[in-house]
Amino acid sequence: MLKTVVAHSEDPDSLDAVQEVIEQCKNQLNGTEPQAGILFAAIDFDFSLILEEINQVFPNLELIGCTTDGEMSSVLGFQQDSLALMLFCSDTIQIRAGVGHQVKENPIDAAKVAVEQATQKSSEQAKLCLCLPASYIGEGLTTSGESILKGLKLALNPEIPIVGGTAGDRYKFTKTYQFFGSQVLTNSLPILIFSGDILFSHGISCGWQPFGRKAVVTKSVGTVLYEVEGKSAVSFYQDYLGDRPPRAENPLAVFDGDSDSYYMRVPNTHDSEVGSINFLGDIPEKTVVQITDISRNEVIAASKISFENALKNYPGEKPTAALLFSCCCRRWLLGTRSKEEYELVEKTLDREIAVLGFYTYGEFAPLEPNGSTYFHQETFVTLLLGTE
Amino acid sequence: MPSIDHESRIKKLEKTIRTLTKKLERSEADRQQLEIASEDRKLVLKGIIKDLENSEIALKERRKELENALSNLKTLQLKMIEAEKMSALGVMVAGIAHEINNPISFIHGNLEHAYTYFQDLLRLIELYQQNYPQPVAVIKKEIERIELDYIKEDSQKLLKSMNIGVERVRDIVLSLRTFSRLDEAEFKSIDIHQGIDSTLVILNHRLKPHPENSYGIDVIKNYGKIPFVECYPGPLNQVFMNIIANAIDAVEEGLNTPTLPDKDKYRTPTIRINTEINDDLVVIRIADSGTGISEAALLKLFDPFYTTKKIGKGTGLGLSISYQIIVDMHGGKLECSSSDLGGAEFTIVIPLVQSLGTSN
Repeated sequence: MLKTVVAHSEDPDSLDAVQEVIEQCKNQLNGTEPQAGILFAAIDFDFSLILEEINQVFPNLELIGCTTDGEMSSVLGFQQDSLALMLFCSDTIQIRAGVGHQVKENPIDAAKVAVEQATQKSSEQAKLCLCLPASYIGEGLTTSGESILKGLKLALNPEIPIVGGTAGDRYKFTKTYQFFGSQVLTNSLPILIFSGDILFSHGISCGWQPFGRKAVVTKSVGTVLYEVEGKSAVSFYQDYLGDRPPRAENPLAVFDGDSDSYYMRVPNTHDSEVGSINFLGDIPEKTVVQITDISRNEVIAASKISFENALKNYPGEKPTAALLFSCCCRRWLLGTRSKEEYELVEKTLDREIAVLGFYTYGEFAPLEPNGSTYFHQETFVTLLLGTE
Repeated sequence: MPSIDHESRIKKLEKTIRTLTKKLERSEADRQQLEIASEDRKLVLKGIIKDLENSEIALKERRKELENALSNLKTLQLKMIEAEKMSALGVMVAGIAHEINNPISFIHGNLEHAYTYFQDLLRLIELYQQNYPQPVAVIKKEIERIELDYIKEDSQKLLKSMNIGVERVRDIVLSLRTFSRLDEAEFKSIDIHQGIDSTLVILNHRLKPHPENSYGIDVIKNYGKIPFVECYPGPLNQVFMNIIANAIDAVEEGLNTPTLPDKDKYRTPTIRINTEINDDLVVIRIADSGTGISEAALLKLFDPFYTTKKIGKGTGLGLSISYQIIVDMHGGKLECSSSDLGGAEFTIVIPLVQSLGTSN
C-alpha cells in the first residue's frame, strides 16, 4: 500500500506558506505517519524556516527537495512563487534519503556517498532512484548533469532507473538550493531510493523542432563547443540571433551519425573572445548540429505524450502518485500557457491521483522502459508511482 | 466570536494581498523578459531569412554551375564526335594517300622509260623512212591514216603533260600525308610553311577558277625566314585548314552577294599569308578580302557552335577547336581583327619552343 498526499501553498510568506502546507498534509494524512517527502520551493522563501517547521511536525521524515523555476501539483495546478510538498506513507515500500556534497568538484564521490547513505537505511534492494541535484552553484559555476548521472549509475545497480531534475532558481541561473532533512544545501545531490513492492513507470517527450541548416561540429571539448564547420560556435548562433548571446530558448539538436533522431543541448555560458559556448551537456565532435525553435502547441502536446507513455508502461492498474519534471525553458516559452502542460496531464487521468512537479534545469530519465538513463534538456518527464 | 471572524478575514485578505503582490511582481518581471525574448525572436527570424537568401543564392550559383557543366559536356561530346570524325578521316586520307602513292610511284618511274622507248621507236621509224624513202602502198596508207607527223609532234607534249599530271598527283598525295600526320601526336620540330603549303594544295580546287568563282582566288604568300617550330603538326595543320577554308568561304560569299554595297572590292579575291618571327614567337597572319566579321560576331567567334554560315554548312566548331589547339595545346594566342584587304585577319601566335609558351 502506498498513500501519497500533496499540499501546495501560493502564500509568499514563508511561515504562512509552510503552515498552510503542513495543515493540508495533516488533514489528508488522518494521523498516518509519513515516511518520506519531496519539497519544491520557489527561490524567494526562507528555506531554513520552512524545513524547521516541517521537521518539527514530521521529525522522522526522509525529506529531500530543491528550489525550482515553477511548481505544479494536483492541489493548485501550475504555480510560481509557491511551496509544494508531497508525503509518502507505506508499510511495504521503503523510501530512504541520501545526500552527497561537492557535487560539482566530485560528482562520482558525491553520488557514491548519497547512494550509500540511502541504501544503508533500507533492508531491501533499491528499485528506483529519484534525484534532485544542484545545477547553478553561484559565481557562474554549474554542476555537470552528465557527471552526476555517471556517478549515480556507478553507485547503483546499472539496471536501476534514475529519474529526477536539477534544481532551479526562477530563471536567474545564478544559485540553486537543495534540501535534505532540515538542511539547506548548495552544490549537493539529494536522492530518494525506493525499494520494496513499489510499481513505477516513466515517460519522456520534448516538442522542439530543428530548423535552419545542419552543420558539423569541427571542434569541441566536453560541454564546450568551439567550432561549427570551421566557424566559431558563437558566430554559428549569431547567424540566427544577431549580436545577442546564445540562449536557452534555442538549444541545439545534436544528431548522432546519419540518424534522424536527436537529443537536445542547451547553451549555458559563452566566451565572446574565444567564440566558444558552454552547454549543459556534452557535444561530441563530428556530430551534426542544428539550431532548434519551438512551436508552443507541440511543446504542450509533448507533456501529454510523456504522461500517456508513462501510463501505458505502468505495470499495475492504479498509480497512486505522479511526479513531473519539466524543463524551465518549456515554462518560459509557454508563458501563460504553462498551466496547460499540467491541465493536459490532469485531463489524461480518469481519476484523482496526487501529482507534484517542478520546472527544472535538466531532467533525468531513461529513454524507454528498462533502458539506460539519460540526462535531458527541454524535456517533460513523468514518473508514476504505486503499488497496485 | 465576531472579533475572531474579523481576525481571520483580515488574515485571509492579507494573504490575498501578499499573493497578488507577488504575482504582480512576477508578471512585471515576466513582461520585461518577454519583451527581450520578442526582440530575440525577431532576430531569429531575420537569421532564418538570411539563411534562406543565402541558400537561394547558393542554389542559383549551383544551377549556373550545373548549366555550365551541362553545356560543357555537350560541347565535349560534340568535340569528341568531331575529333573522332577528324581522326577517322585522317586515317582514311593517310590510307588512300598510301595506296595511291605506290601505283603513282611506278607510273612516275616508268613514264621516263616509256618516253625513252617511244623516242627510240620514233627514231627507228625515221631511220626506216630515210633508208626506204618509197614505202609499199600499204605502209604509206597507214602512215597517212595514223598521221605519223602529228604523232611525232604531239607525243612529246603528251608524255610531258602526263609527267606533270603524275607529279601533281604525287604532290597531292604528299600533302595529304603531311596534313594528316597520323604518326605525330607528340611535339615535333617541323617546317610550318610545309604545313601551310600542303593545306593550300588540298584546298587548291577551291582556289582555282571554277563555275561559282570565275576569278579564282589569289594566294599571296609572304613567308619569313622561320626555323623549325616545335608543335603538334597534325592539329596545327587542322588550324590552317579551318582558317584558310573559312577565308575561302568569306571570299566566295563576297562574290556571290550582289546586294553588298561595294561589290568591286571583291573583284580581286585574295588570301594573304604572312609569317614572321617576333622574339621567340612565330606569328602567322591569314588575311582575306572576304565579307569580314561583324563586331557582334567577333565577341562569340571562338564560342563552340557559334556560326554565321547557313544551316548545314558549318558546325560552329572549327574556330573553337582551333582556339583550343593554339591556346591550350600550344600555349599560344589566336586573334581575329579586320584586314586591310577588306575582310578578316586571323593572327596565330605560337612559341618557337614549347617551354616559352605565352601562357606560361
